[in-house]
This record gives sequence, structure tokens and C-alpha cells, in this order.
Amino acid sequence: MSVPTQKPVRKLSMKQRYSALTHDLDWPLSYVEEDDAFPYTKFEGIKVHDWSKWEDPFRLTVESYNKYQAEKDRRLYAVLDGFAQSQGQLSLSDASYMNAMKIFLQGIPSGEYQAHRNFAHLARYLNGPGARFASLCQSMDELRHAQTEIHTLSHYNKFFGGMHDWNKMSDRVWYLSVPKSFFDDAGTAGPFEWLIAIGFSFEYLLTNLLFVPFMSGAAFNGDLPTMTFGFSAQSDESRHMTLGLEGIKFMLEQDEDNLPIVQAWLDKWFWRGYRLISLVAGMMDYMLPKRVMSWKEAFELYFEEQMLNGLFKDLAYYGIKPPRDVEWAIQEKEILSHQVYWILYQFSHAAAFTTTVPNAQDQAWLAEAYPETWPIYKSVVWDKAQKVMDEGGRYFNPGLPQLCQVCQIPMGFTEPGDPMTQCQRHSIYEGERYDTCSDGCKWIFEREPEKYVQAWLPVHQIYQGNCGGPTLPDVAVWYGLEPGDGGEYVGSMDQLDWAAWHASTVKEG
Amino acid sequence: MPVVAISEYKFPSKSRQELYGDDQLVHVWWKGNPWFVAAGCFRFPKAMPWGDFVGVLKGFYTADPDFVPDSLDSVQWVIDDQEVTPDPSASMEANGVGHKSLVQFSV
Repeated sequence: MSVPTQKPVRKLSMKQRYSALTHDLDWPLSYVEEDDAFPYTKFEGIKVHDWSKWEDPFRLTVESYNKYQAEKDRRLYAVLDGFAQSQGQLSLSDASYMNAMKIFLQGIPSGEYQAHRNFAHLARYLNGPGARFASLCQSMDELRHAQTEIHTLSHYNKFFGGMHDWNKMSDRVWYLSVPKSFFDDAGTAGPFEWLIAIGFSFEYLLTNLLFVPFMSGAAFNGDLPTMTFGFSAQSDESRHMTLGLEGIKFMLEQDEDNLPIVQAWLDKWFWRGYRLISLVAGMMDYMLPKRVMSWKEAFELYFEEQMLNGLFKDLAYYGIKPPRDVEWAIQEKEILSHQVYWILYQFSHAAAFTTTVPNAQDQAWLAEAYPETWPIYKSVVWDKAQKVMDEGGRYFNPGLPQLCQVCQIPMGFTEPGDPMTQCQRHSIYEGERYDTCSDGCKWIFEREPEKYVQAWLPVHQIYQGNCGGPTLPDVAVWYGLEPGDGGEYVGSMDQLDWAAWHASTVKEG
Repeated sequence: MPVVAISEYKFPSKSRQELYGDDQLVHVWWKGNPWFVAAGCFRFPKAMPWGDFVGVLKGFYTADPDFVPDSLDSVQWVIDDQEVTPDPSASMEANGVGHKSLVQFSV
């Protein structure tokens, strides 16, 4: 008697399973024209002949994505709980470290959320199933990052100023219009420009300059939650980098006519991104009680070495040249952080972080990191600012600054080779004058003036009466600022609280 | 170059002069003095006499402890890259200051 043989069901390999559950779910359109179903992928002028050439770098099914991310999130939340229960905030390097995290919380989660929204749009509107699925995964990542960043920093909100209204602030406060306008600019572009702006320029070219300083800064300064968030996000970020690179190569390989379009976007978005992360330069060199590396060193390693000498050598194969204003950025590495922090210092009475004159230890570090340029800034501005403090005052700029029409940063950057003369560039468009801070921002303005004439410049909005009232206290209320959020660090609520917590610890011990 | 867009892309300036009534924005730049990290942006009546404008600046720049207010009486004024000798009793507008003009000096 023979046992009836049943053919065993062959289990699909990982690759087959991925294929079956992602892009094999796509179908050819039968009663709708492709251009009607995907109306946004032609107007930018990018020519695509074969969407199937776009590989999805995630190679995860939704099920495995959820499982994997849930595990990572569980680990992060366990760390957050442990940190909260053990009063981890007491073992930070110093309360002033929180200033870096205030800027991070006020500026970054809203950007992550904008990235989530726009990748969700791509997940619907790109023609190819591989590209759509990759965008869906990145969209979910960005939403998770927004959430986990908010949760990571929420514990600190119980103890430090400046973190209570980050969401309102990111819409209103002057320095936060810098990241907001950056994402507005990218999100109102077409899908391919978005991919170059965020997928490539931001997530690939500049991401290490943005994330490594924050996460290493966290590790060096006892901020276990932020460091853990950084590790948790790292595996996502590496996929985002791959997607960004995949995107640019796809465009370049599809048609040689795409090259000049892609190059112009690269030129624009390198400069937009570089100006945005100048806030990070000021943070790295002036706001971390324990430094990781200087902005200059980070720029040399993560940008000049890895990108200019690595990535751009590869992209030269397609005819891509380094971004048009890269030389300007390179020469600025010696002075960028000094200028940004000096801007933040004199306007921090209208900010949700505090600043102070670098102390002796900080100054020694700055002198070593910037032997040529620190002495200039020390003698010209910081010694004088210290003198004002010694006489019982505190220098804040009594007015409102001229802003760059494109990057929206106060026009404090200087002419190449002349650190004492601010750079002034102007354009006339339809009879109206517009100001920009650099050749890079001027070029961007003149390329698309219709876009930037709409810029919501915080200073101009204040003068138009759209920000709560005519005086600084009115504007501060409208910004959501509360006593203790901004101004001088020495004598601030954060500093006094910190001293009190540690004094009582000693007494009890 | 026009914005590449899915439909006509044309919006008014969000800081056009008419939004300020009889006033206009004026940028004032003390060139070569990094104590003021960027040029200042002010809202002034177009009809404000130049002399009154200089009076406001004499107060404003006292935020620099080394500033000598009377030094502004003998500076070379530059309006939108043109060296000028303004008439203190004439309006800013009559002296050539337009919306978002750059008025600069060095001491």
C-alpha cells in the first residue's frame, strides 16, 4: 500500500516573497492613461524610459518593516523609561548642553513630518512600483522619526526651558523659518526635484554633517535618549542615503537630457542645505559643553573627503560636476560657526535657547580648533561682549536684522577672504529690491524669483503687524516664548535650577 | 527663468511696499563693524526727514559701547551703492531712499 504523495508546498525565498508582496502587486493600467494616473512626473522635464530600472533599496515587505521597526522602537522606549526613572537628566554634562537639543527639537521633527508627507505623495504618484514602495517606506520612517524625536526629548521638557511649544515655534520663530522655508521650498517643487533636494542633497550629501554632530554630541554629553534615538534612526538613514543615490543615478541613466536639470537642482540644493546646517556649525563649536569635533573638521571629513573626493568622483562618470558654490563653502569653514553663533548670541532674547560668552575652557578649545580665525573674533566681539557683562550688562541687538530672501538667515555672513565685511547681494525683480547673503542665495533667487518673492520673512512680517504686535514682548508672546526660554545662559532659570539640583544632591549624599 | 510648474505660477511679493502704507522698509548697514552682526531692518515713513532718521540711528547704535553719536554727522553716506550727501531737512524719499534700500556708512 502506498501512501499518497502530496507535493510539499514550496516556501518562497525571501526575495520572491518580497517581490510578490511589493511590486508584483502592481498592475498594468487598462482604462486610464498613464499620464492621467501619474500627472506629476513629466512637467519638470525629466525623461524616463523604463521605470522598472529603479530599484527599491528597502527590500522589505510591509509586514517585515513593521516587525523590524517595532523591535527598534521598543528598545528605544525602554531606554527612555529607564532614563526617566533614574533621573538621567541630572547626569548630563551641563544644563547648557540642552540648548543644542532645543534647536534640534524646535527645528527637526517638523522637518521630518514634512518629509513624511512628501514621501507619502511620491508613494502614490511615482510611476514605478519599486520607486513607490521605497517612498512609502521612507515616508513611514520619517513619521516614526518625528514621533520618536518628540518622545525622546519630552522628558527634558519637564526640567528645562524652551521645549514646551516647539510645534508652534517651528511655525513662527525667526530662526525656525530657516528650516521651515527649506522644506516648503522642496515640498512645493515637483517629485524629481524633491528627490534631489531631500533624497539626495539632504539625506546623502549633508546628512552626516547634520546627524553625526547631534548624536555624537549627545553621546559625549550624557544624553542617552538622544544617542539611542540616533542609533535607532541610523539603519533608516542608511536606506535613505541609498534611495537618494538610487534616485539621482536613475535620472541620469534614463536620458542624457536629464543631466543639466539634475545638475541645476544639485547646485541649488547643495547651497540651500549647506546654509540650513550652518545652525549645526554654531551648535557644534559653541553649544556643546563637551566637544566632539569642530565644524571645520566635520566639514573636511564628511563633506570634502567623503563627498567631494569620493561621491563626486563617481558621479563625474555621468557628467555631474561638484555644486557650483562649493568653493565658497570650503573657504567659509574657518568662520562659519563664529558668525552663526554671534548671530544667535545677539538675538537670543527673542529665541527659545540661551547663549553666553564662551568661558575660558571653551576659548582654549576654539583657539586650538581655529588658530587663525578665533583670535579675530575674540578680540573684535567676544572680549567686548565680556566687558559689557562685567559691567553688569548684556549685549542684545536692539533692532531687527536684514534677512536673506532665500535662506532667511540674518545677513551676517561675510565676503570671501574678508571676515569683517558682511556680504550684501541684491536683485531687482519687477521693480522691487531683494537682498541675499551670498552668491549662492543670489543665484537661487534669480533662477526662480517668482518663488522667493513669496518668502515669509519673519522681520518683514513683524513690521507688517502679523506677529502679535509691534513690540518685542508682543512678538515673544505670539512666538510662545515664556520667561526662562531665551536670553543669557548665565543666571538663566536652567542654570539656576541645575545648580540647585546638584547642590541638593550633595547635601543629601 | 520662470518656475517650472504644473500651472501658471505667479504670486505677489509678500513684502511689497503697499503693505506698509506710507512707510517703507530701510536697511541700515554700519559697514566694517561686526558688533552689529547684520544690517538692521527698520520701518520708517517715506516722508521722515533725513535728519530725524539720523537722530534715530544715533540712539540705536549706542548699543555699541564704543559708538560716538556725533560721529554720524561726518560720515560718508552711501544709498544703494551711490555715495550721497543727503539734505537733512528733505524726506528720506527725496534723498533717494526707496523700499528696502540699503543705507550704509562706516566710522
